[in-house]
Amino acid sequence: MIYLPIAEMPVNVLLILLVSGGVGFVSGLVGVGGGFIMTPALIFLGVPAPVAVATGASQIAATSFSGIMTQTRRKSVDWRMGMLLSIGGIVGSASGVWLFERLLRLGQLDLIVSLLYLILLASVGFLMLRESYHHWRGRAAKSVSILRRPVKTVAHNLPFRMRFPRSGLYISVLPPLGIGYAIGALAAIMGIGGGFILIPAMIYLLRMPTNVVIGTSLFQVLIITSLIVIMQSAATQTVDLVLAGLLMLGGVVGAQLGARLGAGMKSEHIRGVMGALLLAASAKFLWDLVIPPAEPYVLRGLW
Amino acid sequence: MKRLAALLALVLLSTGASAQTPDVASDLPAAVVEEQIAVSSDYRGSFVTVFGVNPDRRGRGDIVVVMRGPPESATVMRKRRVFGLWINGDPVRFSEAPSFFAVLSNRPLRSIASPQAIWRYELDPAASAQLASAVPAGGDPSAYRAALVRLRRAQGLYQDYAGRATPDRRGGLTMYEGGLFRAEVRLPANAPIAQYHADTYLFRDGRLISAQRIPVMIERVGFERRIHDLATQFGWFYGVLTVLLALAAGWGAALLFRRT
Repeated sequence: MIYLPIAEMPVNVLLILLVSGGVGFVSGLVGVGGGFIMTPALIFLGVPAPVAVATGASQIAATSFSGIMTQTRRKSVDWRMGMLLSIGGIVGSASGVWLFERLLRLGQLDLIVSLLYLILLASVGFLMLRESYHHWRGRAAKSVSILRRPVKTVAHNLPFRMRFPRSGLYISVLPPLGIGYAIGALAAIMGIGGGFILIPAMIYLLRMPTNVVIGTSLFQVLIITSLIVIMQSAATQTVDLVLAGLLMLGGVVGAQLGARLGAGMKSEHIRGVMGALLLAASAKFLWDLVIPPAEPYVLRGLW
Repeated sequence: MKRLAALLALVLLSTGASAQTPDVASDLPAAVVEEQIAVSSDYRGSFVTVFGVNPDRRGRGDIVVVMRGPPESATVMRKRRVFGLWINGDPVRFSEAPSFFAVLSNRPLRSIASPQAIWRYELDPAASAQLASAVPAGGDPSAYRAALVRLRRAQGLYQDYAGRATPDRRGGLTMYEGGLFRAEVRLPANAPIAQYHADTYLFRDGRLISAQRIPVMIERVGFERRIHDLATQFGWFYGVLTVLLALAAGWGAALLFRRT
């Protein structure tokens, strides 16, 4: 047992390491950041929601930095695109932190976080299950590369166009800024990195080649989560350094183990199980919102 | 027993601190064993023990011990159904709800003091909570007050004990021969870290005869204290430090991964 100085509660060190290791393991296995599992898991363990959200961001920063170290060696980071996404993300996360504080004051933070998780977990879970189902039926899901090239999206027609040599794109700077903004705001409110929304957005909306997508999204996630940690520390003082250290330790080790094991397994199977798990988790969020509560009153003290 | 005797000496020597109300004496000798409680990284809550002696030689009267945390504002919201979803609504704010409240007595409080006295001397957590905002239409103020007490009780922050401690329940108030009494309160780990007060009351025939107030300090020490001070006083620096730690952890993991 160790006492967390900011969360003001004792936690079992082994339990936290086990949970963060497990989340890291799953994220390494499936290839997602894992923030969207970590934060609800911490809340479930009794960590106050604001502390869980703000502290979870520091663990995502650690995991994404370790990812970038690997990706830069493969030259798969589009720095210019990453910078643009980050500029949008910086403004977005600032508004996210502001909104977080407003909602906390209004007493509606729990509701908004639950609703956002419900929607996100359900849609990601559904997509994963569908992909795995298509594979099982022997039909390849529509490949991104077929869709990609000749089609022009709105990103190609808007003003302020710019060249992105590493992605081979000549598109407007507005969509990357907008996408960055949305991800930044979501990340600040939900304690997620946002990679699992950012990656589809980069592929389908910006038409970036898949080989630079992961590295670039990791770069943006690192910038945004680092900033969120600093802003939450200054604005709400909800970052718990002791908890963050434990999460980083368990998370990075788990992620490496998961990636190792994932290499030898069929990813469609993993994604199918993962998708079912996420759908089950979102059903739990929905259930809690819909059934009449046993205790009709809620207390809001310091948090 | 030696420790008890030493305590008694201390109790008898201690001069009376300021009494709560002018018409009540402050000659009730009482002392707290743990006047300072240190919160370090292995903190899991603690017990606070209050000792005292009934000044009445024949031991007449009843003892009530109240352990109070600092008052703080709290908001109670009632869940409402909107579009099929249960969301928080109808907030009611209390300006001075005690953050911690434990009341111990040698027999049930209602048979010691009248409801008026309980309300006047704030011997009940509900009596200490000051309503600070209007109750929404159709709402019942006492229902909100009761909800506040119920929710805090569920968190272990509001407690009440009547009678002595038992082997399976350490909290309680025990009377000994010669008017000596000993009250033990459990402070859970989620109780706020702040200055508390242990108030001891002597009632006779339903009237408050004497009262005594002793401060109890709960403080972070060592590492916990440094982290907390840093987080609250140098928020920006603390944030940057956390990010640097994250970068170091990520870098370390990437190095480890490459080597193997």
